[in-house]
Amino acid sequence: MTNALELELKQLIIDTLELEDVTPADIDPDEPLFVEGLGLDSIDALELGLALQKTYGIKLEADSEETHQHFANLKSLAALVEARRVK
Amino acid sequence: MTRQMRLLDAPWRQAHPHDIMAWNADTGGPALSQAEFRERIGAWQSRLDALAPPGQRWLLCHRDPVAFTAALIALWERGDSAVLPADDRPETLEAISPLVAARLGDIADGHLAGSPKVPRWGCLSADRIAVSLFTSGSTGEPKQLDKTFAQLDAELATHRALWPLEGSLVISQVSHQHIYGLLFAILRPLCEGAPMAARTCRYPETLCAWLQGLARCAGEQAHVPHSAVLISAPPPLERLPAELDWRPANARLTRILSSGAPLSAAASAHARGVLGIGISEIYGSSETGGIAWRDQQVSDHWTPLPGIEVRDDDEGRLWLRSPFLTDPDSWEAQADRIAPVTDGFRLLGRSDRIAKVGGKRLSLTGMDRMLEACHGVTRAHTLPLATRDNRLGAIVQLTAEHIPHDHAARRSLIRALRTLLLPAFEPTVIPRYWRFVDAWPTNAQGKLSAEIVALLFADLQERSLPRWLGIETPESHTCRVALEVPERLVFCQGHFPDRPVVPGVVMIQWAVFLAHRHLGVAGTFQCLERVKFPQLLLPGYRVRLSLTWQPEAAGGRLTFDLSGQRGCHASGRMRFAVTETIDAP
Repeated sequence: MTNALELELKQLIIDTLELEDVTPADIDPDEPLFVEGLGLDSIDALELGLALQKTYGIKLEADSEETHQHFANLKSLAALVEARRVK
Repeated sequence: MTRQMRLLDAPWRQAHPHDIMAWNADTGGPALSQAEFRERIGAWQSRLDALAPPGQRWLLCHRDPVAFTAALIALWERGDSAVLPADDRPETLEAISPLVAARLGDIADGHLAGSPKVPRWGCLSADRIAVSLFTSGSTGEPKQLDKTFAQLDAELATHRALWPLEGSLVISQVSHQHIYGLLFAILRPLCEGAPMAARTCRYPETLCAWLQGLARCAGEQAHVPHSAVLISAPPPLERLPAELDWRPANARLTRILSSGAPLSAAASAHARGVLGIGISEIYGSSETGGIAWRDQQVSDHWTPLPGIEVRDDDEGRLWLRSPFLTDPDSWEAQADRIAPVTDGFRLLGRSDRIAKVGGKRLSLTGMDRMLEACHGVTRAHTLPLATRDNRLGAIVQLTAEHIPHDHAARRSLIRALRTLLLPAFEPTVIPRYWRFVDAWPTNAQGKLSAEIVALLFADLQERSLPRWLGIETPESHTCRVALEVPERLVFCQGHFPDRPVVPGVVMIQWAVFLAHRHLGVAGTFQCLERVKFPQLLLPGYRVRLSLTWQPEAAGGRLTFDLSGQRGCHASGRMRFAVTETIDAP
């Protein structure tokens, strides 16, 4: 897990979800992405899933417990990408 | 000067040739006689004849009220009708172009009048469409509205009965591309044989000077108008400077009318104090025409206009039966809520605005009220965005001390507002795009129009633009624009990787872009002078861009200053070759 990948994912989140008030520095890798923390919601989860598929070829089951765990925070998301990326 | 006619009587055909049609208030003399005006009508007809046979619709947009009126009558007398765009932005005009034979007026690709000529008269009929107008879009997408001669005549007769012009000079501060300005500033003087000011009065200093001029030359000659009537709107009335000498003006001004948006009680009292007479406010819309009127210094109750019937239903909604509607016999429900009182009604505001966001229904009015209950929030308006499906935007007016000036302050403010809304609303409907303003942003009619909303959220699409948060135009050639630096600004990416800052050249581009948009500055850029960039400008900073344009013989000079809470980020001067100024919209 590298800082470069974390930064890349932060930028992916900001660009995909068109967050206008968030800079990469605002995203704490340990903070929850959803509801509290960054404050993402269910629509964002769907869009983020699509972006992961498009960018890294990672296919996720929508709304599964596993997906919820991967989306817990930026660190878990980076771990997912590192382990399962095909692009 | 007491002629009172309907449009259908074509008063312009019968006016005495020596009567004054337009008054040059700058010089204090006649601008145009009725005879000369008729030749202007003929001049437009010869141009139209060369373009297309009668029976057309024409787009008409002309800042000069006399030229506008001449073109309108020319096409009516040919058997044509006019489509009036609400403004002269390229997008507005392009949307209408497919509906019309050609564009007329001082706009891009607009045809202008030919040389003066004797006009020919046609035949007007009550149920013919005279003009098509567009709503401001303050309650949704702009909508086209057709008005027949009978509808216009019905309104004109009502206004004339309440507020007769009696030969007063009609001074307008509003656009005649909208129904209010069209009726009051153009058609009423035309039908009542009163002179109109030869140009629209854009600044309070001009108004003061015109009225002083009128007071000076009153009684000198028989043709000098003895008094003036002001056709105004909330924005100019709110901004009347009290320090000018209005005493001569007070003696000449016999009536002030305001419409387009509600006038605040404070603005009504202020204008009454400065101008010396009460403001008659007209409540209505492009769709309904005038509904009721009041003078707030007398009562805040609205009195229905003669011939108009108003009632409420169980939900407090206003129902209207009006001779100005397409069907004068049926009751129509309106979006506003009222409380009937003995002599009329009180306005309670809009009924609930309901939106569907991501499949979920919610009351935007409810969300607005919840935000407005928050400390520091003066006014809030949440709305679906045309460019962002499934996400809401929010326009929030804050008191000065609550305005965020940098990224961290803005972020924590948004977090606080989200936290406030979360117990009452689903996370997905909470606004994602926030626009914090220090003054409520409106167009010249006092409305938060679709055009203003588009400006506020334009940076979502145009990643090279600063976030536009409102403008003040204290005088001609000067404006102050409130801006924020978007975090996702395209120029900050890679400049510099770890510490994004806005490049100086970008600040200069913004100054040029906004000077073009708001001050109409055009011409070839020549050079920069005395440019300084004292403080770094970072994403999230809120700044104020002050622009002053000084036209010179062969060009002009643009002075700019971009400053925020941390001081000045950029300042300097630019020179442009060839002066070409157009009035800002």
